[in-house]
Amino acid sequence: MSDKTASVPAAGQRGKSLASTLGKSWVLIFLLLETVYFCFRSEGFANPNSLQIMLFYGVLVFLLATAELFVIVTGGIDLSVGYVLGFASIISIKVIEKLTGMGLDPGLALLLGVAATLVVGLIPGLINGWLVAYLKVPPFIATFAMVGVCHGISELIINGVYAMGLPKLASDIGSGHMLYIAPGGALSLFQKPVVERGVSVLEIVPNIVVVTAVVVAIFAFLLSRTKFGRHVYAIGGNMDAAERAGIPVKRRILGVYATSSFLASLAGVVYAFMYVSGKADAGASLLLDSIAAVVIGGASLFGGSGTVGRTMVGALIIAVLDLGLRMSGTPTFDKYILVGVILILAVIMERYMQERA
Amino acid sequence: MNGESAARDGKGFLGTRAGQALATNWAAFFLVLMLITFSLTGRNFLSIVNFQNVVHLQTVPLLLAIAETFVIITGGIDLSVGFVMGLASVGAAKLMQLFLASGLTPGLSIALSMLIVLAGSLVPGLVNGIVITKFKVPPFIATMGMFGIANGLALRISQGYPMIGLPDVLPKIGNSYLLYVRPGDFVSFFAKPENFPDNRVRELLRLIPLSLPFILIVIAALAFTLRRGRFGRHTYALGGSMDASIRSGIAVDAHLVKVYVLSSALAGLAGLFNIFQTGIGNYTTFNAQYEFFAVAAVVVGGASLAGGKGRIWSSVVGVLVLAFLENGLAISGVKPFYRYIAVGVLLVVAVVIDKLFPDMR
Repeated sequence: MSDKTASVPAAGQRGKSLASTLGKSWVLIFLLLETVYFCFRSEGFANPNSLQIMLFYGVLVFLLATAELFVIVTGGIDLSVGYVLGFASIISIKVIEKLTGMGLDPGLALLLGVAATLVVGLIPGLINGWLVAYLKVPPFIATFAMVGVCHGISELIINGVYAMGLPKLASDIGSGHMLYIAPGGALSLFQKPVVERGVSVLEIVPNIVVVTAVVVAIFAFLLSRTKFGRHVYAIGGNMDAAERAGIPVKRRILGVYATSSFLASLAGVVYAFMYVSGKADAGASLLLDSIAAVVIGGASLFGGSGTVGRTMVGALIIAVLDLGLRMSGTPTFDKYILVGVILILAVIMERYMQERA
Repeated sequence: MNGESAARDGKGFLGTRAGQALATNWAAFFLVLMLITFSLTGRNFLSIVNFQNVVHLQTVPLLLAIAETFVIITGGIDLSVGFVMGLASVGAAKLMQLFLASGLTPGLSIALSMLIVLAGSLVPGLVNGIVITKFKVPPFIATMGMFGIANGLALRISQGYPMIGLPDVLPKIGNSYLLYVRPGDFVSFFAKPENFPDNRVRELLRLIPLSLPFILIVIAALAFTLRRGRFGRHTYALGGSMDASIRSGIAVDAHLVKVYVLSSALAGLAGLFNIFQTGIGNYTTFNAQYEFFAVAAVVVGGASLAGGKGRIWSSVVGVLVLAFLENGLAISGVKPFYRYIAVGVLLVVAVVIDKLFPDMR
């Protein structure tokens, strides 16, 4: 912006602005380098299909990272997203199972079940937000307490086993694609064409990737273009100033935690459709990934900064890493190590860039 | 003084001295109340066997909570303790396997592995401390990064399986008792008499698991360090006010590094204990959440995440509250899942009580 308006910048300034642009987009450059690296390292990675696979397996982190971002922008943290995901995966399956058991049409049962889950999924967030905003419980404690509550209720519902019993339609949607192209060139939407064994059908864009993209885009709009979003940044920047400026801080914080648990429950529904099962700790390992995505994307844990776009870049870095390592045949154990290292380096890098700017 | 009497007038019973004592030590009172309740509701809850079991099984959580106490008093947090513990456990198991394979005696293999792992467990803390102090990375992020790194390394070493093939003597030592008594017959130290058949071991009165003196020594030593020593004074000073600490000449960065090293050393010790307790090398799973339960215990014990506040013995009470909550509910026939919910509720109650009585300590 500034270098466009400035008239004939001096050579030194120009160099500096280049460096600062590079600095701002180092995450993007890192993502690019990482992708190129895996294209050479992993057999079959350089293939449009691996992009689809990567996005398919990345959806849960995309959703949870978006959830976490809203909270982190206010200067809070939500440790409960993973267990809210698990809770929602179970609730959705149990409700849908009940509805189909009552003789409802599978399509309608899915729709109602998902809607019910998303409504129920607001409750953990409302409680978190109430504890944080009104009772002044530190977010770390409030949301960790919610981990326990969600974990306990989930296990009570399923009694220690997996939740199952979704109609086949659910898995058709969960692992289906938008568009199929049969070898003859025949197109079909949503429905996989029946072909002989061994004949491969071109599958384009998994359904859940589309759903995730739409949802993430809506919440990106909410954060960057609406009054709610502006308030969220203001609260994270300086809570006292936000209060003085007449922003309903408590209500907004309540809204932020509700948003977070709404997105986490949506991730739970997606999980249920993807894996046709639900379990309490389904999202336990995703907490590190989702917070890492937000922080790698440049948000500060002290609040006031971070965007959905940059968070998605952070999430993509993790998704590429995950698939790249899988496809290069190394055990995925290395992923945890690398995410940990990148997480720390990202914060150091961000600080370094700020000091230079 | 005026303020005090005003508080007394305003808060009624809670303003009196007894009320304040109750509010400050509510966790201890709650623990006693819980013990009484469960003694009535649960068969065999009030028994030496049960209490010994609880304490024995809480050795690892106690070590981690003590580690977390130091870090939390400085105003930081260490999310890596659970996974550093897992790394120490599988690391020691791997070393034992290697030493045994190279022909060393079991005793020597165990001793060498323990030494190496204890020394090695200083490294994660050193890295955490340096990343936090020199590179100004918030403790939450730095230790969360270490959580990933330690977890990945542990999975790499163990290839995702519990590590077996370790000397039998490990669980024998880890689960043995100081005294084996058959009333009116004999008293034997450290092990049951050789000629006493295995299948009748339940007839013996087994007293004082070896883990009890071990953990008591660790608790007492570190409680002393924190309350009486210069190390402890500096730890509280850092949590109270970082600026004031710098002005009063405390080497703040060096001290913080030491605190994180102590934390990961205790996590390493917990990993070694884990091997003695189970006889196998265990990596830490995500749903174990050791680090969060450790933080929870410390908070229930009355520490504040803002720093400057906390005591080792209070954290021990915090661990015991969580432990007896689980144990008591289980013995009273309540489904185990309720404990997760109970822990969550208790945690919030702890913080709300802390908010209501902010300057009690």
